[in-house]
Amino acid sequence: MPSSSKPKAAFFDFACCEGCQLTVLQLEETLLDLLEHVDIVTWREVMTGESESYDVAFCEGSITRERDVERIKKIRETAGILVTLGSCAGIGCHNAVRNKWPVEELLQKVYGTEEVVSDAIPARPITAVVPVDYQVLGCPISLPEFVSVFKHVLTGRKYYPPNQPVCVECKLNDYLCVYEKGMICLGPVTRCGCNAICTSRGDACHGCRGLIENANLNAMVKVFTEMRKLHPIMDAVADRHRPTLEQIRRRFAVYNNWPELKLERGTTHGA
Amino acid sequence: MAPLKQVVSSEGLFDMLREAMKELPVIAPAERKDQPGFHHFARLQQAEDFVPDYVTTTLPPKKAFFQPSETLFTFTTDQPPALELVSDTEHFVLAGVHPCDLAGLDALDLAYSQPPAEVRWPADRGLATVVGIDCMPDDYCFCSSVGTCLTRQGCDLFLTKVDRGYLAEVYTPAGDTMLAKVRTWEPTEADIRDAEQWRERKVERMTAHLEADPAEIADLLEAGGLAHLWKETAERCYSCGSCNTTCPACFCFDMHDEFDLSLKTGIRRRTWDSCQLLEFALVAGRHNFRQEREQRVRHRWHRKFLYLYRRLGRAYCTGCGRCSRACTADINLVDVTNALIAHARKAADHA
Repeated sequence: MPSSSKPKAAFFDFACCEGCQLTVLQLEETLLDLLEHVDIVTWREVMTGESESYDVAFCEGSITRERDVERIKKIRETAGILVTLGSCAGIGCHNAVRNKWPVEELLQKVYGTEEVVSDAIPARPITAVVPVDYQVLGCPISLPEFVSVFKHVLTGRKYYPPNQPVCVECKLNDYLCVYEKGMICLGPVTRCGCNAICTSRGDACHGCRGLIENANLNAMVKVFTEMRKLHPIMDAVADRHRPTLEQIRRRFAVYNNWPELKLERGTTHGA
Repeated sequence: MAPLKQVVSSEGLFDMLREAMKELPVIAPAERKDQPGFHHFARLQQAEDFVPDYVTTTLPPKKAFFQPSETLFTFTTDQPPALELVSDTEHFVLAGVHPCDLAGLDALDLAYSQPPAEVRWPADRGLATVVGIDCMPDDYCFCSSVGTCLTRQGCDLFLTKVDRGYLAEVYTPAGDTMLAKVRTWEPTEADIRDAEQWRERKVERMTAHLEADPAEIADLLEAGGLAHLWKETAERCYSCGSCNTTCPACFCFDMHDEFDLSLKTGIRRRTWDSCQLLEFALVAGRHNFRQEREQRVRHRWHRKFLYLYRRLGRAYCTGCGRCSRACTADINLVDVTNALIAHARKAADHA
């Protein structure tokens, strides 16, 4: 197949650590299989040169300045298909932590009186600015999911980001529940698709893929702060560090800041 | 007919597994490397890793036959597509299966034999020699409430701890062959009595009980009027599906196709599913006939204790307690079921 007949793909980054595009590079030899299907015309982290014309845009990062809004709108107009990579682009991630403070106050704190950034705005995911065709969530993205989404793009199939909690992948892998190790885990309300990578390595879920639809946050508040009849599982959690509501909020605030997460005690159960 | 009984020493049991491992993979409860004191069914690396007195495992042994996610067939995009079934062919030994889990396998045998009958499940079941072992309950076990305490269906050999080792009940020639590899003794009256006492002690030690038998629970659920209970339970429920994904009697799965990067070939994969998950009942047009969490909670109880009880003649609960142990929100099946029994009986009295 002559290369000109392949769709052109471009990678773009906004405010982020650029770890998601680095993750794509970790495909190594599989990357060559991808190149059978597309020509990569822009990818600053990987190659020199760029193109004004492309069919599929892979975009990572959050929108944090007026000029980012213009740039992503232009990308959206150019690309037939827009794919977001990672949680910065999908749910705002760490970038949106700063939204708790007014932009002017932050600029003053970080840069003093010098005007370095004149067009800063509250941080937001790409998904909040332009319509997006495909989303790969995660901090960073998971490679198997990236490849799966890539195949969906090529075959024109719709892709729904997994909407099941991480508990499903933990159980299907027969991992021990991290509650048993006395750890607080956001897995029961967090989207899976990561194949429970953190719990597989002995950590708990930190919620990097954002909340599942219809997440029962009231249950989470109750489970961690009010549980009376303790379970052996809950004993382990309670003995080591029964968290306060504020601590649970902070745990969520690492990744889940767009929109701001309301984590309150259920009205029927009192404070 | 009563099974042939032989006594094997504790060392003899390990020798038997060691002998089996010379020829076949042996899957059995072993301690988890990441957390001592917790066990899982795993392929033994050495016979010593087998833990005969384990209490429970996160996943039931059904995973030895139906992996949580497995490939059914490969396909090509040719017209017509070329399909090739993927099947397991390796024989294996599944050892250390408790009576409740034997009941779980039996429940799946029944469910998967209903039309349209499964092809793969019975084929995979035929690959295993199953060695059962009797157990002692923890606070979550309630097998005496659902009649699975003494299940022996589907096992080739069954072991009960006695003073001088294990009393082995031989159910099939395959079990006999396994046992014949090691030295055994004719059981004495004392051995038989030890095994009987073990079973009595097991029931005595059971602290969790359903306050009605499965037949009455089915009737009470059918009578309804329990909406407030489903609502209360749903308020606490995450819908994380752990109750289903750890259940030995749950058999629902989802299927999807995955292409290779060539986009010319692919696989059809099936994965365990859970009726508690939001998208379980999602159908074309984004319609969801159990959108509300309380509908899904109710469905779980109805499915386990009403629909399948009426259709297949048994509750689809083995009393293993895994759902309550695994629940990330501390919802206990026995407590909820007893609450509904109490409420429904009271309502019936006032009627």
